Amino acid sequence: MRLLLVEDDRMIGESLRAALKLEGHAVDWVTDAPAATATLATERFDLVLLDLGLPRGDGLDVLRAFRARGDATPVIVLTARDALPERVAGLDAGADDYLVKPFELDELLARMRAVQRRHSGRAATVLVHEDLEFDPATHRVTLRGEPVTLSARELAVLEALMQRPGAILSRAQLEDRLYGWGEEVESNAVSVYVHQLRKKLGPELIRTMRGVGYYLGRRGDAAGAGSE
Amino acid sequence: MTMADDAASSPGATPAPVPAAPRPLLRPIGRTLRVRLLLSLLAVLVIAAAAMGASIYWSVLRQTERLFDYQLRQMALSLRDQGEIAPEDARVIAQDQLDFVVQIWSVDGREVYASRREIEPPNRAVIGYADIAAGGETWRTYGVIARDRVIQVAQPQRIRHTYAAQVALRSVGPLLLMAPLLALVIAWLVSRTLAPLQRLAGEVRARDSHSLQALPGEDLPDEVRPLVQALNALLGRLGEALAAQRHFVSDAAHELRSPLTALKLQVQVLRRAPDEAARDAAAQALTAGVDRATRLVEQLLSLARSDVAAGPEVRTLPLGEIVRQAMADGVALAAARGTTLELDADDDVGVAGDAAGLTALARNLVDNAVRYGASGGRVAVRVTSEGGRALLRVEDDGPGIPAEDRERVFDRFVRRDATGAETGSGLGLAIVRQVASRQQAEVVLDDSPLGGLRVTVTWPAAGTIAPPPAAPAVPAAPGPRP
Repeated sequence: MRLLLVEDDRMIGESLRAALKLEGHAVDWVTDAPAATATLATERFDLVLLDLGLPRGDGLDVLRAFRARGDATPVIVLTARDALPERVAGLDAGADDYLVKPFELDELLARMRAVQRRHSGRAATVLVHEDLEFDPATHRVTLRGEPVTLSARELAVLEALMQRPGAILSRAQLEDRLYGWGEEVESNAVSVYVHQLRKKLGPELIRTMRGVGYYLGRRGDAAGAGSE
Repeated sequence: MTMADDAASSPGATPAPVPAAPRPLLRPIGRTLRVRLLLSLLAVLVIAAAAMGASIYWSVLRQTERLFDYQLRQMALSLRDQGEIAPEDARVIAQDQLDFVVQIWSVDGREVYASRREIEPPNRAVIGYADIAAGGETWRTYGVIARDRVIQVAQPQRIRHTYAAQVALRSVGPLLLMAPLLALVIAWLVSRTLAPLQRLAGEVRARDSHSLQALPGEDLPDEVRPLVQALNALLGRLGEALAAQRHFVSDAAHELRSPLTALKLQVQVLRRAPDEAARDAAAQALTAGVDRATRLVEQLLSLARSDVAAGPEVRTLPLGEIVRQAMADGVALAAARGTTLELDADDDVGVAGDAAGLTALARNLVDNAVRYGASGGRVAVRVTSEGGRALLRVEDDGPGIPAEDRERVFDRFVRRDATGAETGSGLGLAIVRQVASRQQAEVVLDDSPLGGLRVTVTWPAAGTIAPPPAAPAVPAAPGPRP
């Protein structure tokens, strides 16, 4: 997933970014309220992790302005404000979830998955496409019941494609999912990971629509099948 | 003796005699006040009654003496003027109830008549008034000569005293009989008077450490109102102190969350590290996190200590020496950041204060300058006196603090942008301000000629430090020293 992390504490930010990258997420990190507002106005994310006590502004105001623009991107508030009225205010301002610091990383990851599930209107915790299953919680992928080993980046590409089967994702969109700001993007990285996935999962799963992007195809539906 | 006592007082299972528990404070005071008041009033009453009785007694006695003397004389004269009187007449004249005795002697000394012989009246006659002892008591007598006889009327003195005593008692008696009634009235009055105090005591008793609102002051006697006002003022101050304390504790707990969150995440990142390099990086981050948490706790402690109203020891301290020590403590951080520390200290300058507070002040200023100054920059510290005032000036070449933020940064837990590489506790300047205000010193932030922030602490008066016999050792520090 492509995440925006809004956190003013340097140590928390660094650790969170490191942990989320290990999970295969692309993390962009801003440290104050104006930067958060500006970033949210110009870029799209799959999920926002928002601290409330920010320099030069309050996270709740950032969130309210964000929702006022009609943006439905899931937002999880991460804050030290633990009083009931504060939690209520956070959720009412438009947060999808509210996590009080200090929190367990596992809980944050689980809540991120839950929020993603709700956001994409799924009830099942496991993503299924025909005989391919992907469990975002355990990173376990099975094809016809057989486990398949994938790297973190391969998983990120597969997850992006499986979240909305049939939808076409551009190379840039997939790159966004793979790399945070400041990370050097290898020019053919997406093709490399798609190639790896085709090798492990079969050639007709991920299809290319030339000049547009990639999508998950159905077996027997041969249109557009093939490699780049 | 003692041994025996010890042995006797701790025999096996029997618990040693417990000294009587101290009685609750309010009850005995209420009681003794009432009883004491009652007893004093009753004592005054009794003494007044006694004085009144005595006075009545003496005044009545004087009057009866005059009256009875006159009567004695009248009786004697009337007996004489009657001439030959029969003993029967004399008996009539002598009033039994007043114990008058009439005696008549012939001129040759033979007693011819005595009324009431059985009571041994005086056996000699004196002309005129006289006090004569006879038959174990004193008689008042009046004698007259009538041709061939001597007539004497006598009356025991005792009668007069008894009469006076009776009159006195009759007047004082009702007063003494009233004493129990008076006691009741006094007890009631005292209770009524003390009732507001009792209510007040109840109010105070009902309080716990959280209910510090003012005690009700209306319908209290004027004598008690100052006490209640003083109590209320104390409660108010206590409440303020408690609120400040609670506020601080809640702030501190809140602030501790950030380093704890960081630590927690760092541990989890370390646990998930896929390879050696990642593990090393995570371990390093964790160490930094522990250092940060440690520093915050130390700062909190430092702040809590400088909260104590009066320093434990206030004396004139060598400012230069303390600043030099603080800079020596900051050398490691300065070296890590490549910062050059410079000190220009006038060693004669002393300030009145407590060493711990002053050290915390100097250390925080130096630490802040190094932390927020430019990396590889310069921190210049100057200790001097100006117009009799001691001065400490710490300058750096960092980004400084914009004028609009210069008041806010003294508040606790206020951190400006986290864009810099360092994460502070947000307490440094709060500690500086607190120590300074305790020592009546003034802290001013402005722009430094070096380009960054200049902090100037000014103490009201500079003490003088006797120059030490040898030049103080300059601690080893990287970078040039003046």
